[in-house]
Amino acid sequence: MTTDELHDELRTVARQVLGKADPDLAQLAALGWLGLEVPEALDGAGASYAEVAVVLEEMGRATTAGPYFATAVLGAGTLGMLEPTSERDDLLRRVANGDCRLSVSLDGESGLVADAVQADRLLVVARDPGGGPFVVSVTAGDAEPRPVVDATRDLARVTITDGGERWRFASDPDAAVRRLRDRAAVALACDSLGLSEAMLEATVAYAGVRKQFGRAIGSFQAVKHACADMLVLVSLGRELVRAAVEALVADDPDASVAASMAKAYVGGAAVDVAGKAMQLHGGVGYTWESRVHTYLKRATLNRAWFGSPAEHRRRIAARYPSMAQGSDRSVSFP
Amino acid sequence: MTDLEDFRASVREWCRAHVPSGWRAAQTGAPDDDFLAFQQAWFQELRSAGYAVPHWPAAWGGGLPVPEQAVLYQELAAHDAPRLVLAFVAIHHAASTLLGAGTDEQRRRHLPAILDGEIWCQGFSEPEAGSDLAALRTTARRSGDGYVVNGQKLWASWALHADWGLLLARTDPEALERAGISYFLLDMRTPGIDVRPIRQATGESHFCEMFLDDVVIPATNLVGEENAGWGVAQATLGAERGMTMLELAERLATGFRWLVAASPLDDPVVQDRLAGFECELAGLRALCRNLVERADAGRAGPADASIVKLHYSELLQRMTGFGADVAGMEGQSVLAKPASSGWESGAWVLDFIGSWEWTIPGGTSEIQRTIIGERGLGLPREPAAAS
Repeated sequence: MTTDELHDELRTVARQVLGKADPDLAQLAALGWLGLEVPEALDGAGASYAEVAVVLEEMGRATTAGPYFATAVLGAGTLGMLEPTSERDDLLRRVANGDCRLSVSLDGESGLVADAVQADRLLVVARDPGGGPFVVSVTAGDAEPRPVVDATRDLARVTITDGGERWRFASDPDAAVRRLRDRAAVALACDSLGLSEAMLEATVAYAGVRKQFGRAIGSFQAVKHACADMLVLVSLGRELVRAAVEALVADDPDASVAASMAKAYVGGAAVDVAGKAMQLHGGVGYTWESRVHTYLKRATLNRAWFGSPAEHRRRIAARYPSMAQGSDRSVSFP
Repeated sequence: MTDLEDFRASVREWCRAHVPSGWRAAQTGAPDDDFLAFQQAWFQELRSAGYAVPHWPAAWGGGLPVPEQAVLYQELAAHDAPRLVLAFVAIHHAASTLLGAGTDEQRRRHLPAILDGEIWCQGFSEPEAGSDLAALRTTARRSGDGYVVNGQKLWASWALHADWGLLLARTDPEALERAGISYFLLDMRTPGIDVRPIRQATGESHFCEMFLDDVVIPATNLVGEENAGWGVAQATLGAERGMTMLELAERLATGFRWLVAASPLDDPVVQDRLAGFECELAGLRALCRNLVERADAGRAGPADASIVKLHYSELLQRMTGFGADVAGMEGQSVLAKPASSGWESGAWVLDFIGSWEWTIPGGTSEIQRTIIGERGLGLPREPAAAS
């Protein structure tokens, strides 16, 4: 089977499963999704972030709630970058088997940590004054729920009370934390891409059947052209997400730039797409029952989380002074 | 090194040796004759390296795989090579028409001639048939073993210098609009053709209008079946629209670097705008490469080409508009852009004005959105107006 065929199969299964209900930890483990990036020797699938990205996109499409983002994307991702010790290996194995629900804070004691209330264990990226970052592993204790407008996300403020265990990154810790942030940003871009696709499809379907003035509203240019603009946003976003995922999997030196491009563009585009979906659904779209608001709220949260579009654009623009110096008209690139 | 990296290295080496230095200055404000000679010489230079028609089939002198084509266009753009603006219609529109729907005889007659420098223009639009192209009124009346053509065409690029033209004309006045149109190859030296340049918004005059008065076209110059010209035009031009975008998107990437160099980077608002453009550009370039690969494999979606054309043209307009903005009053005094460059030349105000040359021709942005909505998303067509 080619990678594309594998992804198609994974996507089909994910769409079926997630379309019915939000899977819990045991179901996620049974599906094999928690251990996608865990080595086979530790009961995982030995796959890559590319497969995780497929699941994430489908979770955005279904506005799935639950432990996947915190345990698999942030948790297994963090553990994978730590020095391999027997404790770490044991924890990775438990993650793959669905025996441990993780929560990760990349910003020390922080106000908005995913899934911290329900987690069995909390990994906190901390740093000594003047030193590099390391990870503190604590049995989750003090997590104060922080409800947000997007009801599909479970966030909390965490405070570390016990000392916990100190675990070290396997290589350059600053680079490792940067890569963890890139992974989180791209994960949200995948989610936003999936929810944009769902909103575009729902809007096109609605515009094809909803009649006003004696004809389907999708036959009016004002509606049709708005849908066309949504497709352009989704099409470009898909390319940027694909490029960012590939760059992360290949551990490309420019992966951070690709991640920021995907997060900046798709994070913003998803809000535009979901907002236009609400507009084109008319009064129906504004009702609680329509669920369009679920998508719009999730898109709005995704846009803000792990770096706003403006913050990511600032990272992208940090390269411009050196680019400007090297760009007399005879200089070659890339 | 991979084969692709080897290829990139060889293109770079070629560019360093062959891209004429100082061509921008020499071509700025150059008279038409200089421009024509320069374009023809550059075309032959590219041809001798195998770079003039990489998208053609190997049997006709092309055959470069899509990833190599993308690299070629990246390097030509990065080394600021002149663009093939004069040969554009010949190597893209005419070639894709001939390859898709032409007879063997027509291909043998014209494809090698195009490589030798035959210039083509396109006679599709008319005064009363712009976005509604199927409303065209130019007639081609069967007479003996040929057709007699009468009518008026508009927006024929470089028609004053063209050897041949692509022509849509009505062969069945009784048929419903699209059903009665045929596709012809028109020898521009035929008696009865009067070509007049149109002065455009930028002050240049490469677009022309064309008056056809009892112009005789032999039946051997009909492309496809009589009255089946609409389908020929749609099939070949839709696919072609995507191919040209591969090059244009890479040119825009080079334009972006100049925009960065011209911008006050200490202004965070400027940085933000630039980074926004770069994201869109990265998405567009990837989309173009995907599109060409899918088209190559016969898997292009019905609205793919419209998506890239729409986004390219509107991004070009926003980027050049921003360029004109950051160039300030100094930028207002740049009165000429080099011939043989695109609308990302760095003469930002003229580039900006010229960017409407991409949002209007080849199907306006409004028409593209309708195509995307109807063919790409399957939304219902607008009811026909009562006539």
